[in-house]
Amino acid sequence: MLTPFGAGADLCFESILAKQCAVANVKRFNTAEFTSRIAATIRDLRYHGETSLVMQMFERLFASSCPGIPADAALLLATTKGEIDLLEKSLLGKGGDPGESRLDRLLARVTALTGAKGPAAVMSAACTSSSAAVGRAAAMISAGKSECVLVVACDCVTEFIYSGFSSLMALDTAPARPFDATRKGLSLGEAVAFSLLMSEERAEREGRNILCEISGWGMGDDANHMTGPSRASEGLISAIQRALSSASVSPAEIDFISAHGTGTNYNDEMEMRAFRALFSDTTPPVYSVKGAIGHTMGAAGLIETIIAMKSLQAATVPPTVNLQCPDDDAKGWVSSEPVPLKRAKRALVANSGFSGVNTALILNLPTVKA
Amino acid sequence: MAISILGAGWITSKGYGTVKLCEEHLFAPDETLYTVAKNGIFNRPVKNFGRLDRLSRITLAAVSLALRDAGIDSSPEAKKDIGIVGTNDQGSLETDTAYFRDFVDNGRKLARANLFIYTLPSSPMGEAAIHFGLSGPLLYMAGAGRSLANVMVTAAEMIAGAESALMLAGMTCGDEGIYAVIGESKHGGICSLDTVLKSAAGDADLEKIVTTIRSLKRGQSE
Repeated sequence: MLTPFGAGADLCFESILAKQCAVANVKRFNTAEFTSRIAATIRDLRYHGETSLVMQMFERLFASSCPGIPADAALLLATTKGEIDLLEKSLLGKGGDPGESRLDRLLARVTALTGAKGPAAVMSAACTSSSAAVGRAAAMISAGKSECVLVVACDCVTEFIYSGFSSLMALDTAPARPFDATRKGLSLGEAVAFSLLMSEERAEREGRNILCEISGWGMGDDANHMTGPSRASEGLISAIQRALSSASVSPAEIDFISAHGTGTNYNDEMEMRAFRALFSDTTPPVYSVKGAIGHTMGAAGLIETIIAMKSLQAATVPPTVNLQCPDDDAKGWVSSEPVPLKRAKRALVANSGFSGVNTALILNLPTVKA
Repeated sequence: MAISILGAGWITSKGYGTVKLCEEHLFAPDETLYTVAKNGIFNRPVKNFGRLDRLSRITLAAVSLALRDAGIDSSPEAKKDIGIVGTNDQGSLETDTAYFRDFVDNGRKLARANLFIYTLPSSPMGEAAIHFGLSGPLLYMAGAGRSLANVMVTAAEMIAGAESALMLAGMTCGDEGIYAVIGESKHGGICSLDTVLKSAAGDADLEKIVTTIRSLKRGQSE
């Protein structure tokens, strides 16, 4: 993955463990009229240049890492706004066709870049896009429809997106403080990532190093409001219950929770209500990475799945960066310091988004075979 | 697991209809989707219907007709374990353009939140989930070419995988839209999804799917 910290999951994980924050002043466009001036962006990208921001990010990502993508892999591209900077560029009179910002066009470009020749589709479900795509990939493999699915996720910080979140009064003027009593909103971030999912049989046949298993997935909608989460948390509760059920595990078997944790009052409150409803007997550690890398929108689910995988491998829950004084409902669940785990076998990754969408994924460390 | 189409609704620039209930209403010269919304398509007013973007209006109409065709209560108070997966021909290009053009016209100083929230390709399905109380999975999909058949297959896979009891699957294209309620065949239904997809093989676009479902329904009635 490529995040504001740079290329690679190890770098991102280590930076979060070191409590670094990549949120800084935005230089890409003028923020003077907006409610905030900051975001977590990737360095040295050319805004409104020859190619889009996400394609520059993808080219850098795939140049820095050789995932050995099989030609028969199906491809799921998860994003909310993809190459929206191409539309900006055109409407600002800088050239190009706004239609080039369509997600099916981006799908064609990513297909060519990755070499995946199986069936390809865009998956978009607001800020749950890439966790929804991971769930679909796991379902496709589980149902025997595919042996191998490449999930690719992206989103970037542009004036279009920044102005929109500013108009919603969702941005904090300081770096986001998920689950903090003084939190005042989110910080936008950008990232691209990929993950190759395979059936166990195929992975063993090809001698692949299995990093993690996706054992459960679920989606649920609040059916309540376009931008505000439910005050009863029923959509997230339903998504988690479905994921637990599909993984055939109980809440007590979850060792930690990677929360969506945007830093907005409503989101974090809604999430803690759901976690308290389902996990109050065991109180597994909860964290959010968004204080460190911002809210990477459609890429957030996959980035957070990869960080959760790293956390399982390291048996350490990352700190919630920028957390100083936990909100009352999060006390005893979140920490500003890394937390070593006695048991690191299974994690829950939760995400939520506009339209009341919620996703939950259950990750397992691979079973060691005798 | 056998999957069937339990109901379907469609709308075009010429009119709207259902399949199981065999409704078909052609717009009079002075009628539009907006004018007939209150007395024919929805069984209760849609909040801010006139302010919604075009794709959301078409999606809401097609979903309302599909739920009615399947005999499902469409009130939001009765939350339902029904998901929705949809596609369209241009993503959110129209609403993206409307939002950013408005922002530019306002000197890049004033952005309108009520335009921004419709710039997600999944927003029309989100409006449907809110208005009809759909609490299952929600997903926008797109691929090369028209992909109504693809979303129907995905919806069927979600049911088979116990991700939702029922699914709405559909497509909007220009001023047209179709949504179908899909579920296990034990719930009854108009015809099996397999039969529809086989009959409408190839580029199974909106018109072809509607025609196929209606002809299968007619064959069943005869």
